[in-house]
Order: sequence, then C-alpha cells, then structure tokens
Amino acid sequence: MFLALKEIKKEKLRSGLIVAMIVLIGYLIFILTSLALGLARQNTDAINSWGITRITLNDNANVDMRQSFLTKAQVGTLTAKDALIGETATVVKSAKHKQVSAVFMGLRQQDFIARKLGLESGRRVAGKRELVADTALKLAGYKLGSKVTLNDHTFTIVGFTNNAKINVAPIVYGELSTWQTLRGIDFGPIASAVVSKPGSTRKATAGTKTYAKQTLIDKLPGYTAQTTTFVMMIAFLMVISLIIIAVFLYILTMQKLPNYAVLRVQGIPSRVLVEATVAQSVLLVLSGLVGATALTALTAVMIPASVPMAFDVPLLAAVGLGLLVMALIGGLIPIRSVLKVDPVSVIGG
Amino acid sequence: MSSFAVQHVNQVFGTGTARVQVLHDVNFEAEPGTLSLIMGPSGSGKSTFLTIAGGLLTPTSGTVTVNGVRYTDRAKKAKDALRLSEIGFILQAYHLLPYLTVADQFKLVDKVKPKGNLTPAALQNVLATLGIQDLLHKYPAELSGGQQQRVAIARALYPDPAIILADEPTAALDGSRVKVVGALLRDLAIRHHKAVVVVTHDSRLVDSADVLYQMQDGVLTKQN
Ligand SMILES: Nc1ncnc2c1ncn2[C@@H]1O[C@H](COP(=O)(O)OP(=O)(O)OP(=O)(O)O)[C@@H](O)[C@H]1O
Ligand SMILES: [Mg+2]
Repeated sequence: MFLALKEIKKEKLRSGLIVAMIVLIGYLIFILTSLALGLARQNTDAINSWGITRITLNDNANVDMRQSFLTKAQVGTLTAKDALIGETATVVKSAKHKQVSAVFMGLRQQDFIARKLGLESGRRVAGKRELVADTALKLAGYKLGSKVTLNDHTFTIVGFTNNAKINVAPIVYGELSTWQTLRGIDFGPIASAVVSKPGSTRKATAGTKTYAKQTLIDKLPGYTAQTTTFVMMIAFLMVISLIIIAVFLYILTMQKLPNYAVLRVQGIPSRVLVEATVAQSVLLVLSGLVGATALTALTAVMIPASVPMAFDVPLLAAVGLGLLVMALIGGLIPIRSVLKVDPVSVIGG
Repeated sequence: MSSFAVQHVNQVFGTGTARVQVLHDVNFEAEPGTLSLIMGPSGSGKSTFLTIAGGLLTPTSGTVTVNGVRYTDRAKKAKDALRLSEIGFILQAYHLLPYLTVADQFKLVDKVKPKGNLTPAALQNVLATLGIQDLLHKYPAELSGGQQQRVAIARALYPDPAIILADEPTAALDGSRVKVVGALLRDLAIRHHKAVVVVTHDSRLVDSADVLYQMQDGVLTKQN
C-alpha cells in the first residue's frame, strides 16, 4: 500500500489518465446497463405490476395476448384470484395533441387488477367512456379530462398511472366491454386472456393453454432479442475492459521492473512488490469506479423522464463488482513478471 | 572470526561445450573497519563474485558466511531477510525508486524491516556526514548524480548492515569525484565499523583501499 500510494502521488498524470479511462469504461457499462434495464422495464412493467404468476391464452395465439381470443366457455369459472384482460393495439388521438400509439387493456372493474391499479393522479375508470392512461401520455401533453378518440370512439382520460407499459408502448386501461367494441366483436370472444395470482384454483378449459408469466414476457415481440443484445454488449464490454485495464497495468508494471530488481537486491521480499502491484490496481480501479458512479448518479438526476433508463442500485453494484473483479484479474497478470524479476540483472555488466 | 567469509567458491556456467568456469576456488575475507578493493579486467568474474557474495546467486560449490551465518545453504526467503539486514548494496547506477522522496526511501526499509535500523538521530548524523540532510523531501530526479549516489550510500547504511558491497561505484564519475567517493567509502568502513567490499576496474580507487585483491580469469589473489 505504501509503495502504491507513493507512486500514485508522484505519477499524478499517469495515474489520472488510467483512472479517467476506467471512469469512462465504468460509465459506459453503467449507462448501458441502465438503458438495458429501462428498456426491459418498458416491456414488462405493466405485466409485473399486476402481481400475476400465470396467464391463460387461446392455444392458437402463440403466447401473444393480442392474438388471443377466449370465448365464455374457454374463460370458464373464475375465482377472486383471476382477472380478465382484453388487449388490442390502438392509437390515441385528440385535436390538440400528437397521436400516440398505445395498447388498450380492457379490465373488469371488480377484478384485482383494476382495484389495485396505482394511480399517479385522477381516479379509476367508472364507465365505458373513461380511460386511465400511462403517464407517457401526460408527458405527450394529455391532461385529466382530455377528450381522446380510439378507433373513432370518444373517451375521457380520468386518471394517470405510472409504469403502465407493455412492449415499449403506453397502456390505456378501460372497460373490458370497450375492448369488444374496439375489436368490433360485440358477440363471441369476451377477453384475450385470463391472468391469475398465486393460489388460483381456476380449472383448465379446452382450447386454452396456461403459461408462466416469464414465458409471456420472453415471447413479447423483440423482447428476448433486445435483452440478449444488451447482455452481450455488456459482457463484451466487461471482457474488453479487462483486456484494456490488464494492458495498462502491465505496461505500468513492466516499466518498474528494473526498480523492482534493485529492491530485490536490497532484500525487499517479492511479496512486498506483489502487494504494491495489486494495491495499485485496486486503488486505480476503485477510484475509477467511484468516478463512474458519480457520473452515473449525475446522469440519473439530469436525464429527462422520457428517456427509458432505469437506475437500479443493486444491479449497478453487481455490475461494478464484476468490473472490479475483471480489473483485479487484469492486475494479476503482471504479477508473474514481478515474481520473476532477476536481481542479478542490476549488478554491473 | 571475520564478519564476512567466502570459502572455496567455484562457479560454473553452462554444460558440455558451453561450460565455462568463471570462478576458481575463490577465498576471501573481510573485517569490520576495512575497505577491501577487488580489481580486475573486464570479464574476469568480478560481478559474478559480487552476485555470489551478496547471496543473489548460489555458487556451484563453496560457501559464503555472513556474521557466522552460512548464507549459501539458506532458502530464498532467508536470503532476502539476511540481505535486507546484513548487506548494504551500493550499485553502479544509484537506483533509487523514482517515486519515493529521500525520506520515503528510508521509510520503505522501516515498512519491511521495522527493527534494527538506524535511529533517527543516527540517520541524521549519517545524512549530515554525507551532506544530504537538506534533501529529505526531494525526489531522486531532483538531485544531482553525486547527491543521488550519497543518498544511495545512506540507504545502504540505513538497515545497519555488517557488510557493504559496492559495485563499480565510481564508473560514471570524473577524477576529483573518484577521490571523494573513495574517501567516503573508507570513512564508512572506519567510522561505522563496516566491512566494505568494493568491486571495480577503476585503479584510481587503489589509494583508498586497506586490502587489495586482484581478480584474473576467475582466480582471486591478495596483493601486498
Ligand atoms: N549467466 C552467465 N552464463 C554464462 N556465462 C556468464 C554468465 N555470467 C557471466 N558469465 C561469464 O563470466 C565471465 C565473468 O563475468 P563477470 O560479469 O563476472 O565479469 P566482470 O569481471 O564483472 O566484467 P566487467 O568488468 O566487464 O563487468 C564472463 O566471461 C561472462 O561472459
Ligand atoms: Mg562487472
């Protein structure tokens, strides 16, 4: 530690450059992680907010709620732990604001989803012509009381709710019967899906299939591809940062080998030199991570709400720890050279 | 009993046709308070001798004894420890750690070997004798060559070793400085009661020596 601190103190510019590089790498990884999580949440927030574990769809729907239609017989008998959902893609329009592509979710007001829907402002849906919309519509300029049209039917926004997004589109919640109207199927199917909380005793019905919540999420169009892309990017960045940090620390250490040979001549044990090398790596990487954390925190405060970023402290801490471990592995590479330093090399020719 | 003895040391490098015997039955003794000078032409085996004497290389045969401790059959760690406490090296290029101030060069020794080093007063005394007492907060790059060399000498003295081994200490110096360094090393031997061993091909140092040895093709002979 003594040698590491003294060297960092003397070589301020050199250490500063390495720390700056680690700050940038860490910042990049933190931001990518937050973007990945933000995007993932825009896909899954609504589904997760319902508190369900299973979903029943028409078995010809390929696990796609929008392609699923359930008849009264397929819905069967529901318990208090089941809820009906009618989902359809729609466009929210009004004379004063720009159009917003959205997803309409029809709910029965007595079901648990409608009852426990968290409101940011306004009140719950109380009639066929009322909607509770995701706050994304508020950001787009819509207000409580705004008159909007969906498929040429007029509605009033009576409430806003947070984090109501599915597949990156904002949700407008309304009555289940409105779903039938929007779909133009006033007779026939009564819902897209039955969703169930843990402990539901609902019996399976013919022509339907029940899936775990995660299966539904994984099958959301593009979701798995996006998540895989981000995870791969972050994984590659981790490996690349390992290589970059390893190369820098290696060069730093190689430059000191003649000095280390002198210390070995003087009887300073190899252990002290190895400790100095490792301590230096840890100090530089930790300072870099602290800087990256500060930048990320600043970004989290400054970023507009419309940018889909989610800053999850445990996840970022895990990523930071991963980076630290990678850097330590990188810092261990020059140890071999330190151990092999030949003191004889400094005794005159 | 002498504080430092090299007995029947042979050193062979390589095998078969590449086999060279660099040292032939070398015997050497150094007493505290004396400056021994080992002279010899290039390639005669001076550096090899110093490397073995300093415990950096185990000879093919023979022994090195420091203060009654047989250096040559110690493990690597014990050799490090013995070197740290009993042998002060003064190297050709002064080889101070560039990122430690003069004061920190001594502090590093304290970190590794907390006991048996010079007391602050004794160190102050050494620094004053060497004329470098005002340079404690400077980095090596801020010192002149001669100042660096004197710091290196103080650094070698700091663990209070029994023996000082110097490798070509005057290689880079001009005539007047050679005399100064020679006097300094001699003073070191007498005043600090060290066995000082200097290996060099610089005949200008002969005047400062108490005992003179000649190395020729790996054979060491005492001169009178
Ligand atoms: N590791 C080694 N392997 C083989 N031969 C070696 C090795 N080290 C030294 N030698 C040989 O031993 C001989 C003595 O070398 P040494 O370095 O001891 O000479 P020296 O007296 O210090 O010379 P100089 O005054 O030039 O420094 C040389 O012929 C050299 O080539
Ligand atoms: Mg030599």
